[in-house]
Amino acid sequence: MSSLKELQESFQRGILAGDDTVLAEIKDSPKEERKVLFGVYRNAYVARLAEVLADDYEQVHAYLGDAGFARLAKSYIAAHPSDRRSARDFGRHVPDFLKTDPGFTAHAEVAEIAALEKALADAFDGPEAGPLSLAALADVAPELWTKLVFTAHPTAHRLTFATNAADIWSALRDESPAPPPRRLPEPQAILVWRQDVTARFRTLGTEEAMMWDEAAAGTRFGVLCEMVATYGGEDGADFRAASYLKDWVDMGSLAGFRFG
Amino acid sequence: MNAQKPPFLGFGLGLRPQHYSEILEGSPAVDWFEVLSENYMIEGCQPLRMLDRICERYPVVMHGVSLSIASTAPLDREYLARLKALAARVNPVWISDHLCWTGAHGVNLHDLLPVPYTKEALDHVVDRVSRVQDILGRRLTLENVSSYVTFGQSETTEWEFVSEVANRADCWLLFDVNNVYVSAFNHGFASDDFLNGVPRDRVVQFHVAGHSHEETHLIDTHDHPVCDEVWDFYRAAVAHFGPVSTMIERDDNIPPLAELVDELDHARSIAREVLGPASLAAAE
Repeated sequence: MSSLKELQESFQRGILAGDDTVLAEIKDSPKEERKVLFGVYRNAYVARLAEVLADDYEQVHAYLGDAGFARLAKSYIAAHPSDRRSARDFGRHVPDFLKTDPGFTAHAEVAEIAALEKALADAFDGPEAGPLSLAALADVAPELWTKLVFTAHPTAHRLTFATNAADIWSALRDESPAPPPRRLPEPQAILVWRQDVTARFRTLGTEEAMMWDEAAAGTRFGVLCEMVATYGGEDGADFRAASYLKDWVDMGSLAGFRFG
Repeated sequence: MNAQKPPFLGFGLGLRPQHYSEILEGSPAVDWFEVLSENYMIEGCQPLRMLDRICERYPVVMHGVSLSIASTAPLDREYLARLKALAARVNPVWISDHLCWTGAHGVNLHDLLPVPYTKEALDHVVDRVSRVQDILGRRLTLENVSSYVTFGQSETTEWEFVSEVANRADCWLLFDVNNVYVSAFNHGFASDDFLNGVPRDRVVQFHVAGHSHEETHLIDTHDHPVCDEVWDFYRAAVAHFGPVSTMIERDDNIPPLAELVDELDHARSIAREVLGPASLAAAE
């Protein structure tokens, strides 16, 4: 007779790896064979996690269709046994899995659609902070503006896409036909964040993306203006930097500021 | 540790996100809510803010699905600390989880897995319940699960095992009416034997739910309305245990709130019929 520990290990292997050793510990019921009854646990594990994945990656599901998504779910569940108490994070490796799984590497847009869905879900669940208001900025004395260092909202997350995954995601969300996948001539910068109770994303131009990345890393506003001048030309550089800043404040993607 | 038996709360529902706004904007005829602990164990998440608002208006009990009290893996102290922190925020009337295990070696199978009814398992579970109660500083409420397999090494019945755990670890019981019905069908025992076999003074809550019928076995799917046979067994449970806080549990195919409130009204009317309106009102 197995000890409780051995029995649980064998039961778990039976569910995860299809190992039938545990059946020796189980009796047939009055109406059914043990293998069918143990199968209830095997099936439930895969079905429950596949459902979690379908909830978390709704647009990947829409893009791949039921059969394609079922294949993804099956291979992901086999590769990543659930290791958390809550299943809510079970699908956290899906974007990376899609980048490396031989079945999907030729379709780079799928991993990027998944990355966008994950970033939006993370932003929705992320902590509250700020947001920085225009009124708070208006109180800053003009001579101190060059020393301003901004704090990104804690839900803000930057992505860089090689494909038109963002357009595909938007079309799928609107239940419109998705555009054909294509590789973009230049990488596309995406900013994801939560505004009030809604997770949002927006594409950033290359200059704005450069300034956002520097601002989020703690570069002072005076230096940001110089970088914008170097990047896109001195003419109107301060105005461009100020416009980007105003947009971020309007969007709620900044949490606050300090003086550096 | 709080030794007094928790009060009769009346007739409640499981709190599901689909119903947040309907609950907060209306006043559904629901006496209390049961919340899934793990859904709110993340600091700063939106559901937690909704829960705060529900707690301002209704008595709440916490129900977990991953304590894994019967697992041979070490107790997860970080999980227990987060459970305790949530309890400090929610102030639940009681905290429940299942008499089962959910995984070993850091894996979570997200299922309520059965235990062999052996002395070894009994000693193990009793020790773990006692330790968890010490950590939480309160009694735990344990629920009987639906099961699909019977272990050859079991030495006793499920109800004897459940009763021994409750008596030795000094914890409360959540009597899941549907789970007893499902397990009785699957293993060929009489559900009344279970009913009569557990200590009446330990039972603080009923779950009533639907299941799926697979001809040779039943599966506890919580995705159907409660069937007539389970309502009949609920009637027997009310007659046996008296007024016990009753909850309709639906986890999938979640219908509009009004449908669940109708099912809850049905439970209320059964309890009123069985116990008489006066004794039910007195309990409330």
